[in-house]
Amino acid sequence: MFIYYIKLACLSLWQTRSLSFLAVLIIGVGISATMTTYTINYMMTKDPLPAKSERVFLVRLNNWSPEASYRNRAEERPPTYISVQDSLNLMTQNKAKGHIPIAGFKDMLKLPEQSAIDAEVSVVRATTRDFFSTFDVPFLYGSSWPQSSDTTGEQVVVISKALNLSLFSGENSIGRTLMLGENQFTVVGVLDDWHLLPRFYGDSMRAFQPPREIFVPFQTQINLELWTSNLQSYECWKEPENASVAALWSSECIWVFFWVELASADNKSEYLDFLDSYVREQQALGRFQRPILNQLQTGADYLQERRAYSRDSEIAVWLAGCFLALCLLNAMSIIMTKFQGKTAEVALRRAVGASSADLVQQYALETGIIGLLGGMLGLVLTQVCLYVSSQLYTHLSKDIMNMSMALMLATVILSIVSSLIFGLLPILRAIGVQPAEQLKSL
Amino acid sequence: MLRMNKLAKTYFTDTIKTQALRPFDLEVKQGEFIAVVGPSGSGKTTFLNITGLLEDASEGEYWLDGVDVCTLSDKQKSRLRNEKIGFVFQSFNLIPELNIFDNVEMPLRYRKLSSAERKKRVEHALAQVGLHSRQTHYPSQLSGGQQQRVAIARALAGSPAFLLADEPTGNLDSTMADGVMSLLKEINAAGTTIIMVTHDLEQATQASRIVEVKDGVICEVDKQTQAIA
Repeated sequence: MFIYYIKLACLSLWQTRSLSFLAVLIIGVGISATMTTYTINYMMTKDPLPAKSERVFLVRLNNWSPEASYRNRAEERPPTYISVQDSLNLMTQNKAKGHIPIAGFKDMLKLPEQSAIDAEVSVVRATTRDFFSTFDVPFLYGSSWPQSSDTTGEQVVVISKALNLSLFSGENSIGRTLMLGENQFTVVGVLDDWHLLPRFYGDSMRAFQPPREIFVPFQTQINLELWTSNLQSYECWKEPENASVAALWSSECIWVFFWVELASADNKSEYLDFLDSYVREQQALGRFQRPILNQLQTGADYLQERRAYSRDSEIAVWLAGCFLALCLLNAMSIIMTKFQGKTAEVALRRAVGASSADLVQQYALETGIIGLLGGMLGLVLTQVCLYVSSQLYTHLSKDIMNMSMALMLATVILSIVSSLIFGLLPILRAIGVQPAEQLKSL
Repeated sequence: MLRMNKLAKTYFTDTIKTQALRPFDLEVKQGEFIAVVGPSGSGKTTFLNITGLLEDASEGEYWLDGVDVCTLSDKQKSRLRNEKIGFVFQSFNLIPELNIFDNVEMPLRYRKLSSAERKKRVEHALAQVGLHSRQTHYPSQLSGGQQQRVAIARALAGSPAFLLADEPTGNLDSTMADGVMSLLKEINAAGTTIIMVTHDLEQATQASRIVEVKDGVICEVDKQTQAIA
């Protein structure tokens, strides 16, 4: 019967092609508006590390002045970043599966054979090899630097696919060298395309912007005393001993986002205990003179607290949902008009033995096909809208404007299901009248 | 095969109660050809709708082939209609976008028969009405008489126990009407029970019995009297 119903649906759609096209168009526009805003909102708020989000945490230590709470908040909360010395101490104590300091600097980038005039200002991410494994960063060539590079601060570098394309024409550049300022670095890895959204690990203002293109070991930045004061936020409740970078490293100035990956979510309290004992040790040395308020915060919670997610996009999704409902109501009215012209056929089919269920199936399939076509049109329009948005909002990562296969499937399913729900009334009205009453009008 | 005991139909609106059919008894035996006559608005169509299970009676009993149809669900009635009753309407009621084969095949689709079985039955029914060669034509390509023959073939395809015809010649000229009446008589002679509503007394006299509906009262009339009248 299914194939028979499809045949009848196609005949009916052709017979009422103007009304059917209008219904498909209206559903397509409604679906497109909803899915465009939903896709952007979803990509901005989705869990970037679904398999690890419950065991990757931002370490927050209450390292601030004994005189006042951090930012004078009534409800005291620890800062979101920590000092260099605490970063190094936590890595040395090695109590987590992975330690990921997020630091960085700016420097002039060029190839050794290029002249200084060809150098370009580049922002470098300083971290550890755990960054790549914890955040599941894919490599095109090579791999992350070895553990020894993190320990000794070797001059090695991992670059992005785009940078590899511009510096080395996209060739396998492992072993090649590049210059950052006066320092020569050897390429050990080239990243493949990498879409981590939202990019939660750094400054929340950059959560929806592309990642950095150069990565070096954190220890290398420390060893080479590479510091750019205007690159990132840093706060000091106590001035460094002098103006040198070495003094900054050993000061109480905080600026390093420090993430840990634990072996399992169950280890959270154990690691918190460790942090408490670490702070107590430091208190004995005269540091951390405020109450112990250590925190392990998930990426999602961190972005939420930093208000990285705009409420506007959520409201836009609701508005688009209302617009879809309006479109579906219009489509419902069109489908009702379509089916009103079919009372004679319904009466006849009832007379020759079709049950209500048979007719519901027949017309539900026709409505479902309208929904399917509306969904497919909606999908095409959504892609167009996302492309236009990506051209308009160039400061945002283009990955936000990309639909995953699951979202594409959800678009079509949403269209079919909502069409069936809104088409139910026309269907029930069409078949609900006693066949005798309809036959009288024949 | 068909027995109605004290069957009646009353319509209610907010303020008005209309007795469309007063309580009546009727029995139709296998192979009979019953003509139902009466003026417009007398209740003929209501009688036909109740007989064809398209409408429920308000009171009384209706037994069809030993089944009390008053107790059946919508689905069971649909099934009974599909298997036991064939309909022929005044305005043919063919679906214009389906070809002749598909129109005749329609009732068989709801009986879940195999494709081969449906094909065999459709071809046989079209051969019965002399339109075997027109299977791929569309209704608009046929004359009124031919369309009514297709409608009869559709009613016959399911091998119904009886055939309900609502003024089957009402939209045809006399030549075509005669052809359709001859066909109905042939079908009846082959064993199918027919109940036909008609205005035409001449056609009514060709039936084996005549039932008159007048102001909601159903009564059997003497065929000879009608013929003389």
